Amino acid sequence: MALNPVPDHVPPEMVGDFSLFTSPGMLPTPDGDPQAATACVHAGPPIFYSPFNTRDGRGTWVITRATDQRRVLQDADSFSSHRSIFASALGENWPMIPLELDPPAHGVFRSLLNPLLSPKRVTALEPAVRERAIALIDSIAASGTSCDVMQDFAFPFAVSIFLRLLGLPDHRLHTFVGWANDLLHGDDVKRPAAARTILAFIDELAAMRREEPVDDFMTFIVQAQVEGRRLTDEEVRGIGVLVFVAGLDTVAAAIGFDLAFLARHPKEQELLRSEPNRIVLAAEELLRAYPTVQIIRVARKDIDFEGAPIRKGDYVSCATMIANRDSAEFECPDTIDLMREDNRHAAFGYGPHRCLGSHLARREIVIGLEEWLARLPAFRIKEGTAPIAYGGHVFGIENLIVDWS
Amino acid sequence: MHIVVHKAKCQGHARCWAQAPNIFKLDDEGYVLPGDINVAQEDELLASRAVRSCPESALEIDRTSAARFEPAEMQPRAGEA
Ligand code: SF4
Repeated sequence: MALNPVPDHVPPEMVGDFSLFTSPGMLPTPDGDPQAATACVHAGPPIFYSPFNTRDGRGTWVITRATDQRRVLQDADSFSSHRSIFASALGENWPMIPLELDPPAHGVFRSLLNPLLSPKRVTALEPAVRERAIALIDSIAASGTSCDVMQDFAFPFAVSIFLRLLGLPDHRLHTFVGWANDLLHGDDVKRPAAARTILAFIDELAAMRREEPVDDFMTFIVQAQVEGRRLTDEEVRGIGVLVFVAGLDTVAAAIGFDLAFLARHPKEQELLRSEPNRIVLAAEELLRAYPTVQIIRVARKDIDFEGAPIRKGDYVSCATMIANRDSAEFECPDTIDLMREDNRHAAFGYGPHRCLGSHLARREIVIGLEEWLARLPAFRIKEGTAPIAYGGHVFGIENLIVDWS
Repeated sequence: MHIVVHKAKCQGHARCWAQAPNIFKLDDEGYVLPGDINVAQEDELLASRAVRSCPESALEIDRTSAARFEPAEMQPRAGEA
């Protein structure tokens, strides 16, 4: 790498030996627990500089306390969300919308999209979500006493819900998951190729819906108005790509981590099975314990933050898994207590960019767990197998073979 | 109990509404409606749980106004004491 990994303005004593990509427990590890592995940073200072903490090897400041993360994420005047994560894979520079727009432009698009994923709207989607969960789990139950939760349930469930939201056919599910996989976890060749494929797909879909409107998300976008005008092609693209990418693997990963926890904890599993009304609260604790994203902001100006000289253009990392293990925010943060009540967890971020899909994600997780526990007997990790978990920009779990024989 | 709503801080997590849909109302976009909230005594536990689950600290229990109301309510009624 040509870049000096530690910029001159970073005092050497503020450099910390921790990265969500390279630290112990972050590379794919059998029986790994990458979220727990991040908790070691709490022994150190509230902010430090991590030389390699992005996919492309750039350094970031790392904010270790929940209240400081809240400060950063709520302060869009000082910390921009525009990084062109997707476009940069193509050597371009346009924002995914609304994630990579800053206020006030952000608010305009957020208001446009919020009603589509509001709590009220999600309540209306619920029967379809439940029906999908039941169909998948019943077919798993009918076909044996073991399955791979990721392949057979988490991915098909989460992805098909979101395909339905977009108005796309289910039969392309595996193709889409493959694209997302290459984009999020692929190498330098696969990533740009996947990005190009997704972009072409979104552009084509937008063109089709312009020509022949139907009742779906993309039709809504191409017909929508902001500030009295239609959206530009680049805006349509920015929204389409974000919704496509964000919906593909985050919920699936969350369901994977949750069922892996329950497979390893028979008592907790039994508690939720016998008292399903506890699942809603338990799901919040599982979101706290197993969040999946690192949120990164770019400093818009020079700021001294808790003694750290952040300079304009520096990356600032707010890793949700780190905030969620902060003992100043959560009592006994390393204990997973499914009955925990005070739970202002950061799984969906803080501030104006709070995850737009959070309400749908929550319901999918709760319904997935409810139907799984109602339809399958006590399950455990299949003997001789070990789920592979990993860190990085989006934490995930590769395989989860469970057994109820 | 009285709850102060810091509307500008609300980012639409809807945690308050999920805990106590009868106490906390959301607009069409999913953000809490403006205006402070008076909570009936039987709903206090639920309401304070909701306040504690707001990730943005947009809701605040106002103890001072509770203190303002209570003495009046605790005036001995005619016939008592
Ligand atoms: S929990 Fe807080 S941020 Fe969320 S809707 Fe309620 S007041 Fe707003």
